[in-house]
Amino acid sequence: MSDSVLFRRLAKSYMAFILTLMYVPMLIVALASISKSRFFVFPVRRYDMKWYENTFSSLQIQDGFLTSLTVAFCVAVISVTLAVFGALAYARYDWRGKSLFQQLLLVPVFFPQSVLGLALQLWFNSFGVVMSWEATVFAQLVWIAPIVTLIISIQAFGYDGSVEEAASDLGASRWQVFRDITIPLLSPGIFSGFMFAVLLSWGNFPLAYFTSGADVTIPEWLYGKMIGGYTPMVPAVGFLSVLAGALALAIGFSLKAFSGHKDNK
Amino acid sequence: MPAEPIMELRGVDKYFGNLAAVNQITLAFEEGEFFTLVGPSGSGKTTLLRMLAGMDKPTRGDILLRGERINDRPANWRPTCMVFQSLALFPHMTVGQNVEYPLKCRGTSPSERKKRASRCLELSHLPISYYDRPVTTCSGGERQRVALARALAFDPEILFFDEPLSAIDYRLRKTLEKEIKDIQRETKKTFVYITHSLEEAMVMSDRIGVMRDGGLAQIGSPHEIYSNPVNRFVSEFMGEVNSIAVKRHEGGELWCESLGATITPPSVLDESFSQGTLMIRPENMHLVNPGEARSTNVFSGELFNEYVLGSRIQFQIRCNSDTFLVERLREAGMPKSGDQISFGWSPEDSMLFPE
Amino acid sequence: MDSRKLTTRVWSSLSSGLLCSAPLFVLLGLGFFGPLALVILYSVQPRGSFSPFGTPTLENYRDIIEQAFYLSFGWSLLLAIISTTILLIICYPLALALKRYSGAMADILTLLVVAPLFVAENIRLQGWVLFFDKGGFLDGGLNHLFGFGPGSLVNNVPSIVFGMVYVYLPFMLFPILLGLSNVPADVREAALDLGANKWRIFRDIEIPLAMPGILIGSLLCFVISLGAFSEAKFLGKGVIVTIAQDIESAFTFGQNWPRGSALAVLLIILAGTAVFFAMRKIDLNKVLGTR
Repeated sequence: MSDSVLFRRLAKSYMAFILTLMYVPMLIVALASISKSRFFVFPVRRYDMKWYENTFSSLQIQDGFLTSLTVAFCVAVISVTLAVFGALAYARYDWRGKSLFQQLLLVPVFFPQSVLGLALQLWFNSFGVVMSWEATVFAQLVWIAPIVTLIISIQAFGYDGSVEEAASDLGASRWQVFRDITIPLLSPGIFSGFMFAVLLSWGNFPLAYFTSGADVTIPEWLYGKMIGGYTPMVPAVGFLSVLAGALALAIGFSLKAFSGHKDNK
Repeated sequence: MPAEPIMELRGVDKYFGNLAAVNQITLAFEEGEFFTLVGPSGSGKTTLLRMLAGMDKPTRGDILLRGERINDRPANWRPTCMVFQSLALFPHMTVGQNVEYPLKCRGTSPSERKKRASRCLELSHLPISYYDRPVTTCSGGERQRVALARALAFDPEILFFDEPLSAIDYRLRKTLEKEIKDIQRETKKTFVYITHSLEEAMVMSDRIGVMRDGGLAQIGSPHEIYSNPVNRFVSEFMGEVNSIAVKRHEGGELWCESLGATITPPSVLDESFSQGTLMIRPENMHLVNPGEARSTNVFSGELFNEYVLGSRIQFQIRCNSDTFLVERLREAGMPKSGDQISFGWSPEDSMLFPE
Repeated sequence: MDSRKLTTRVWSSLSSGLLCSAPLFVLLGLGFFGPLALVILYSVQPRGSFSPFGTPTLENYRDIIEQAFYLSFGWSLLLAIISTTILLIICYPLALALKRYSGAMADILTLLVVAPLFVAENIRLQGWVLFFDKGGFLDGGLNHLFGFGPGSLVNNVPSIVFGMVYVYLPFMLFPILLGLSNVPADVREAALDLGANKWRIFRDIEIPLAMPGILIGSLLCFVISLGAFSEAKFLGKGVIVTIAQDIESAFTFGQNWPRGSALAVLLIILAGTAVFFAMRKIDLNKVLGTR
């Protein structure tokens, strides 16, 4: 369809505008983190890196980063493992409970997280489970594993199922089919699923807030400071957390590009 | 007659819910033959093949391999191999890795794998330089050959083909049909091929089985099936045909209501015959020149249209409310559209199917 | 014997799906439906009870009706409806533009839209507070340039809506993008060729084909914004109270678990009704499968 140049230009500027808007808060946070004054005032009069120095020397924040990282890693590994099988049940096999499974899986995704967090808190309490980062891993799994399952399912829907039958027909055992065909063909979905899991967990607040007990993740620390009293360490930590997320994305994608390159050789 | 069929179906049924996809099929494949199952889509061909290959189990009945019942033996434990309609090449592997895969599953050594895979590529007319190409970069015809080479590398006793050529253009399809047939002759393996294309079946097969609604309508050599179809369905499926509704008439003749004329039947009418369909293949029809003396089965009509089919030409003739197809070799002095022409057929070239 | 064979076949095909889904079923049972049942159980306990096994009573629900909680329900519902509508209006053209004009950049642009999801909501909202607050980026910048500024633009309802729209934008954009990929270019061209104008193509071709995606996006945004609370807390600074805030304070400050549970149950019923009606119109296999 031919659209006028004006229309095209309008559409492109609109895209650019919204995309810029998405990143405005991150930029403001970055700016606030390097301004010297206790409260953010624009235009910034004096810049200073002392908030970063304070941040790096704070044991509490180091602990928070470590906790967040551990939780994210555990959530990603477990949810991808569950999701690979879940995606096969979701997209590959025909079985009697399939549509029930497909619908139930969506419910936690479409559920207010603060309510889920509170419900889990009640639940852990009544079983005497001590709130800790392990409980947070479990809580986040309830929300993230279904999302990762959906992501891997898209991949599973996308490839022709007869390749598995062909492999089996050529003499491959169930395990060989899984290792040689299923896993390699699902790998782009597994990769995206893993990235999503890490990053969603990294940025998650409500589920961690109600279940982590004495352990504090970075989003929780930020929340505490924002409620209890703003200091420029809030934007400093916030911006570091953004950078960490971006770094994870960058590492993930370069790994992917590298392995893709190798395959094509 | 060989001592024992290589594979046999005995009263095989396959139900999906209440639907019988395959209904009471009994059939035996001879060692080293090229057998083709033809039938319209939905006639149960693919379901039958999947049961033979071990991807589905029959609801009832037995499948035997050299006399041994193998109903419950899964695909990876059968000495058979299938070329899929989608080809089902492994998209994340190279041509060579695809072809080597069955050998790898069997634990063959890498050097032996490479040697045998190369031979299979050669057999299916793929240059060895393709060995390390990603299979995704191959063209349609090349993929076809990779799939064939992969199946050959498995070294099956029986090869199954599930309409592998349906997505290929006409000329390439003709080439590949002949190549598959050549490979079958060379390897002396049993090939079981399914297709909905009559032409494909005719070119390649030693025997053809025509399927309809989950059952077998007729089994025979291509020639038998073409010239002696057992019923109207087979006759229509095997190629274009003129059909006329007829009734018994006095004196052992047939009466055609729409032509308003009597017709001489192919042979003496059965006692029980009262009405049915008379069928004549277009190439068995001839044009009757003015003044030529012919007494039976001659009609005239307006030449409505003509289709050139390479060396042959097909005339479409309107005669009352009926339309007839007459196919002749192309030559000088043929009639033109709009001409009034006479046409007819010898009674022994027609086929009568009672209703 | 034949029927036995048939049942074995059914059983074996059932088991591979069941086997693969079993871990997730267990996770959902222990981590979602179990806790949910407990919340329901708590909601019928006497006020301030800390045990789920007392004598069932409906007094919490009566309290909720008597004590003006309908206000926060009303605000949550209103905010959810408004922000979902705005998101639809913003995201549909955005998705179209991304689909048609991003070309080779498509993947990167899409990634750029999702990436903010991976940053904690708190930080992003804090960024907007610093942007809109008195002396912040906007006010301070304008003051610096022109000598006057709008002052504080936060602590009001529109700023809460803005925050919600901002935070949930990816949740609306993604499903719509997925839905639009159900509209093949040749179908649109065929419609054009058959004499349809742009409006007709939009109404008769694009919208119906993209509908599953649009529905999922709207549903997702509606449900999450019903449970929103950070936006009201940080951008609204208490100018209104949403239902999720009520639930949280009943559990924390109020130490009244049964009341919090009863409020949660009502919220779940509200969200559940929306999900139930929308899901009946969506075939998820189709939405995810066609790409």
